Amino acid sequence: MDNKNIDLQKLAEKIYDLDTEVYECLGSSLGRVFTGGRDKTVCELVRELHTRSDGHVIRSDMALISNMARTIRDKEVKHRIMIKYDEIFQEVISLPTSFADGDVMLKERIALNSASRLSTRFSDDDHTVICIGRTFGSGGSEIGFRLADHLKMNYYDAEIFNEVLRRIDAEKDHMENREKFPDIDDYENKERYVESKPAFATGHKTTLWERMKEFGRYHGLPKRDAVYFNQSQLICEKAKVEDFVIMGRCADVILANNHIPHVSIFITAPMEQRIQRVMQISGQLTRKQAENLIKRMDRKHVKYFKYFTGLEWGAAKNYDICINSACYGLEGTMNLILQMINEHV
Amino acid sequence: MDLYLCIPFVGILLCIAVMPLLKPHWWESHQPHIVVLWSLLFVIPFAFLHGAGEAAEIVLECLVDDYLTFIVLLFGLFCVSGNITMEGDLAGSPRVNIILLTIGTLLSSVIGTTGSSMLMVRPVIKMNSWRKRRTHIMVFFIFLVSNIGGCLTPIGDPPLLMGFSRGVPFFWSLKLFPLLLLNMVVLLFIFYWIDRRAYCKDIAKGRMPDINKPKTKISIQGIHNLIFVVMIVVAVILSGILPDMPAFQNAAGEVAGIHIYGHVTLTYPAIIEIVIILLAAFLSFKTTNPEIRVKNHFTWGAIKEVAVLFFGIFITMQPALMILKSMGGSLGITEPIQMFWVTGALSSFLDNTPTYLVFLTTAGAMNFTEGIMTTLGMVPVQMLLAISCGAVFMGANTYIGNAPNFMVKAISDENGIRMPSFFGYILWSLCVLIPVFLLDALVFFR
Repeated sequence: MDNKNIDLQKLAEKIYDLDTEVYECLGSSLGRVFTGGRDKTVCELVRELHTRSDGHVIRSDMALISNMARTIRDKEVKHRIMIKYDEIFQEVISLPTSFADGDVMLKERIALNSASRLSTRFSDDDHTVICIGRTFGSGGSEIGFRLADHLKMNYYDAEIFNEVLRRIDAEKDHMENREKFPDIDDYENKERYVESKPAFATGHKTTLWERMKEFGRYHGLPKRDAVYFNQSQLICEKAKVEDFVIMGRCADVILANNHIPHVSIFITAPMEQRIQRVMQISGQLTRKQAENLIKRMDRKHVKYFKYFTGLEWGAAKNYDICINSACYGLEGTMNLILQMINEHV
Repeated sequence: MDLYLCIPFVGILLCIAVMPLLKPHWWESHQPHIVVLWSLLFVIPFAFLHGAGEAAEIVLECLVDDYLTFIVLLFGLFCVSGNITMEGDLAGSPRVNIILLTIGTLLSSVIGTTGSSMLMVRPVIKMNSWRKRRTHIMVFFIFLVSNIGGCLTPIGDPPLLMGFSRGVPFFWSLKLFPLLLLNMVVLLFIFYWIDRRAYCKDIAKGRMPDINKPKTKISIQGIHNLIFVVMIVVAVILSGILPDMPAFQNAAGEVAGIHIYGHVTLTYPAIIEIVIILLAAFLSFKTTNPEIRVKNHFTWGAIKEVAVLFFGIFITMQPALMILKSMGGSLGITEPIQMFWVTGALSSFLDNTPTYLVFLTTAGAMNFTEGIMTTLGMVPVQMLLAISCGAVFMGANTYIGNAPNFMVKAISDENGIRMPSFFGYILWSLCVLIPVFLLDALVFFR
């Protein structure tokens, strides 16, 4: 299988390079088949080549490249590229269907979920990124913050969201350094970050004029989407340069889509314990109010996660590990995660 | 006219539908041969039955009267729009696409469905280039911009221009606005949810637009080409006005021109239209930086494909049109709702201009005493609305229903978008358009 993987990698690289070459010859990026980055696209191609059910996608992509290649004006260049195309195409159609015995993604997933294989996930060049999803009131944010503190990693929560907004504003005004990122390793100020306002919190009502301004400012995208895209980019950039713990933000899915190694954890607790915790923290909410708040937050989490990832928030199949914090307590849950991380990563 | 003479027309449609799926590369390189083959399969039996002279006249008549102006108009708009490029970082999202489709739809009645399609297709492709799931965007583009949007003025779509030249007042078509509005609202609503779903799937797969720059900047290069678009629109309007002017008529009251063969004449108004359009295309090329065409990925592939395929379609559909002309009056169509569906169904596959004319003539011969006075007789408003809507709206049902449909498909195919097959597109029409047309029929023509 490894040899085949290497072959598929080379084949995927050839396909990507062919697409690049075609568009360089044409001098136009309009309608380019692979618009993503090289590494990401090659990874995606390898997956498609490997998975029988997605074989037709590759064939269609090849057909689109050939459509474009045939419009090259220089006959010699066109001839050279078409020969290259034919060679690659032959390689693609000669792939034995038998080697795709199962879905590679599922296998990886299985591998990811087995703690004994966690040690092989991160190479020496990779940084340790721990993504924690949590239900409101389960203590997930605090667990994440303590974990980051213990591992001497940066901790990113709603602050990352605010930073993206600042970044957009800064670029607009050319005032701040866009690479600047808050260093949140001071345990003393944890209240600033723990249980802070989530990304999907309802904002103030905007006027028509403000909406029009936002339309231009966010490239015609809804503000929430523009923020998500900027946030995604920032998360990927950070994952390449530092270790950190990140709370929510669909970070696990963003990193998975970009083939960046990470550990994804989901923390939850029974409703009763969550209500108790929310009431304790707020000090003012009645039981009914706390319950309503939790339900409302859960609904928003589900909606936000579904919108940006297409996945079910909190479903065990989408995470490496799911923990009921009520069974271990905040300290115990953190120790459990620490044990797993220290032992295997 | 024998029905079996329609077989070549069915054959060519089946080839367009099936061959790109079965033998794509072979079909691409042999299109002209297949088109000529099917054309001959109509012309030779027809010549055998009716004589070579009549066969030559039929072929020349459709080529000179219909095909020539059709393809020159398409060519002119294709060239001019290919010289306008929009640079910008507006990201294709459901909201942006709704805005683009709305602008394109309304623009269709101002510069014609072909003009609007050619002008808008590249910006729409460009803004959505970051996305993987884009097919539906181009399908709805064809529905709205390439067809339905052209219903408000005679400039919008050739059948309405034909109506205008037969005495229907220029601004009468504005009465179709409520229908346009209903169709736009319903279709854009459906589009929004389909596009939103596709957009979310793209995001979920990690696709994202390049929005690194702080503000949206849009710049249009080659904007002076809009002058040439206007030139072409003027040429189209003149082709509808000039034939009725005494200066362009001979002593017998027929439109004067260069006699070619039998009854076939290349009329002076048609020559004027062709000259103006070709001049606009020439000037557009001369005055525009070639880099703009490179940025637009401008190639002759799309127009070549349309020119070749429609050459065969125009010739082979003649027997079907002749049958329609001879039977139009005896079909027993008396109600607007019947007119709407029959005109529409036939316009989906045949050229919608002669189809419109056949049913306008049929309605004009029914001796109505109230309605719009045309040179073909009095036609009730509801009846004219139904014929106009059927001809204009239902051109969207198939790729060959209206000229820009195939152009948009060809340009999209060339620019990385997997367009549905011939039957795949019809499935989209059946699922989305037909229910909307049923609604139209219930609300406006019942």
